[in-house]
Amino acid sequence: MRKRLLSGLEPYLFVAPLALFVVLFVFIPILGTVWSSFYSDVTFLERRFSFLQNYGALFSDPGFWKSLRFTLLFISVAVPLELIIGTAFAVVLDLEIPLRGLLRACVLIPWAIPSAISARIWELIYNYSFGLANFLLAKIGPASPPVNWLGTDFGAFAAVTAADVWKTAPFVAIIVLAGLQAVPRDLKLQAKIDRANFAQIFFKVTLPLLKPVLVVALLFRTIDSLRIFDVIYVLTHGGPGGATASVSLYAYKYFLGGDFGYGSAASVALFLVSFSLSCLYVKYSGFTEAAS
Amino acid sequence: MKSLLKLAVLFPLLISACSKRPAELVFAVGGAPNELDFWETIAADFREETGISVRILRQPTDSDQRRQGILIPLKAQKKDPDVFLMDIAWIPQFAASGWLQDLDAAGGVPVDTAPFWKNIVDRSDRYGGKLVALPVYVDAGLLYYRKDLLKKYGYAKPPATWKELLEISAVVQAAVRKDNPEFYGFAWQGAQYEGIVCDFLEFAGAKGGLRTENGRLLAATPENEKALAFMRDLVSKYKISPPNTYTEMKEEEVRLFFQKGNALFERNWPYAWGLHQADGSPVKDKTGICPLPGFAGPDSVSTLGGWHIGLSKYSDKPRDAARFIEYVLSKKVQKELSLKLGWNPARRDVYGDPEVLKVHPHFSQLRKIFDNAVPRPGLPYYTQVSEALQRHLNAAVSGNEEPAAALEAAQKEIDAVAERYGGGK
Repeated sequence: MRKRLLSGLEPYLFVAPLALFVVLFVFIPILGTVWSSFYSDVTFLERRFSFLQNYGALFSDPGFWKSLRFTLLFISVAVPLELIIGTAFAVVLDLEIPLRGLLRACVLIPWAIPSAISARIWELIYNYSFGLANFLLAKIGPASPPVNWLGTDFGAFAAVTAADVWKTAPFVAIIVLAGLQAVPRDLKLQAKIDRANFAQIFFKVTLPLLKPVLVVALLFRTIDSLRIFDVIYVLTHGGPGGATASVSLYAYKYFLGGDFGYGSAASVALFLVSFSLSCLYVKYSGFTEAAS
Repeated sequence: MKSLLKLAVLFPLLISACSKRPAELVFAVGGAPNELDFWETIAADFREETGISVRILRQPTDSDQRRQGILIPLKAQKKDPDVFLMDIAWIPQFAASGWLQDLDAAGGVPVDTAPFWKNIVDRSDRYGGKLVALPVYVDAGLLYYRKDLLKKYGYAKPPATWKELLEISAVVQAAVRKDNPEFYGFAWQGAQYEGIVCDFLEFAGAKGGLRTENGRLLAATPENEKALAFMRDLVSKYKISPPNTYTEMKEEEVRLFFQKGNALFERNWPYAWGLHQADGSPVKDKTGICPLPGFAGPDSVSTLGGWHIGLSKYSDKPRDAARFIEYVLSKKVQKELSLKLGWNPARRDVYGDPEVLKVHPHFSQLRKIFDNAVPRPGLPYYTQVSEALQRHLNAAVSGNEEPAAALEAAQKEIDAVAERYGGGK
């Protein structure tokens, strides 16, 4: 009897450490943030329960909508680029080519560099007076005045996106590469015998089988890109004129100003966006069936 | 499994071992490595003199990160850090949060504030009738100029008005460009950060700026609009300031630009002087300083900056902390501060010290400028006000918003911030 009880508990015991980790480091902080968003929690004012007041102020602030618009626009440009470039890398790295191991390691380098540092590198590329981009432009391009890369809304947006894609496409490449290795070789061989060309094999055989892996990559990249902070903090600090302020940067500035309730409300709003996007992905991608 | 168990037993022990430190005072301060080393020697000297050990909690140079590193333990009511340096702009927020001890009470005897600038202590360090901070070093915006170039092109004096600065810049820029295509007339801080607000207050002059009328902080005024339009025109119309003014130009970028010999005029804080005069600097002995120009001559304004020392409300050693503060502000340490780091001490008597004047002859000029420096609005929610201003000022300088519209939009946001945090006060 006792033995059976124990064996019934066994699966739960195996899951327990992970569950404990998730509860401690994910659920409790999220609940804490939600809880704190219901308070008027400003260091220099009396702390009081204000329920949805922070959300009212948040939703009526054009600055918040501007930062949300930027963030959504950013993920809708950056994430597809990361997926396409990352997948292309993975396909190349999956081929039987010389120095494959070395190439695979090289592709990982941008991912291994901390974002704050890679953002500094990009800052040196974009720099107006001594940046690499303007240097190359002067060397090989037509004689023209140097370009102020971060000076326009579009330029700053493109600069931030490029820096982020450069850094995170390798992450996608690694996930997809793992997925490619799980694609049975005989299926590809079969297609080859049926005289399918490279593109046909890729789009008709490989890609459908890669779908679950791509959904995972998409999910990770979307969630991660939604909270983009470090690249922007270093590169533009939200400029010019607030054009590249992400929601995380927006919330951070309120935390710094001592308004923890409002900053929490902005963080919760971002969490809700990322949670609903994740739900949509999981629901419409057939991810759960594919995984089981 | 066994090693896991061991770890589980050891982990709490490890944590308690880490948290059990000998009783010592913790002083949070950030800066460049040589500055932190300086503070370490001050702490060692202090220990020798008093037997009280002080641990330097080393912080980064970035001022946002320094604030974050102090704000979080204070919000969590931690005993450490006991003492910390604050940017002058944070004092109202920290004081209104009740985080700063009354320094008159903490040491047992009232602090003698006579050696410091009265205008600075009265306007920045007193909050609600209490002395909540004291200046350690002071800053104010200055105009740096190239003595050699002014002389070469026949100008006897640095400009007193912005109009003169424009004229001189245009002439000299055109002439020097023949040899150096990267040369510009005037470099200043225009990136989206606190610096653009400081510069804006100086361009706005004595008649403009952020004044309070009937309890309302006024940003959208004709004087401010004129100043903001001028800031934009410096870049896009007169083209005497580089195009990256509004994307990259912060203190250090401006300082390096001038130091490389690429600018005739520079707006910066006094710290740049020592670096311009350092060995190997291309502008060594070619640089002069003077008060910033104004639109009508003598209405020029310098924004007051600097770092002030405060004592945490949650400190468990307020007496020792008060002694340390007294030590940091003693003439001996303040003198070392200026001799070793080239900083501008907060004590006026250091500026008349022959030994200091020998090393820093420019100190005699700085004294006048500090006398007239103007602080930023002393509001606990200044961060939010500044955030709105930074965004819209930067948008106007970059040409994305018209100056009038930018100030109107900033005003709207400032009103909302005041409504939210000040209850209309």
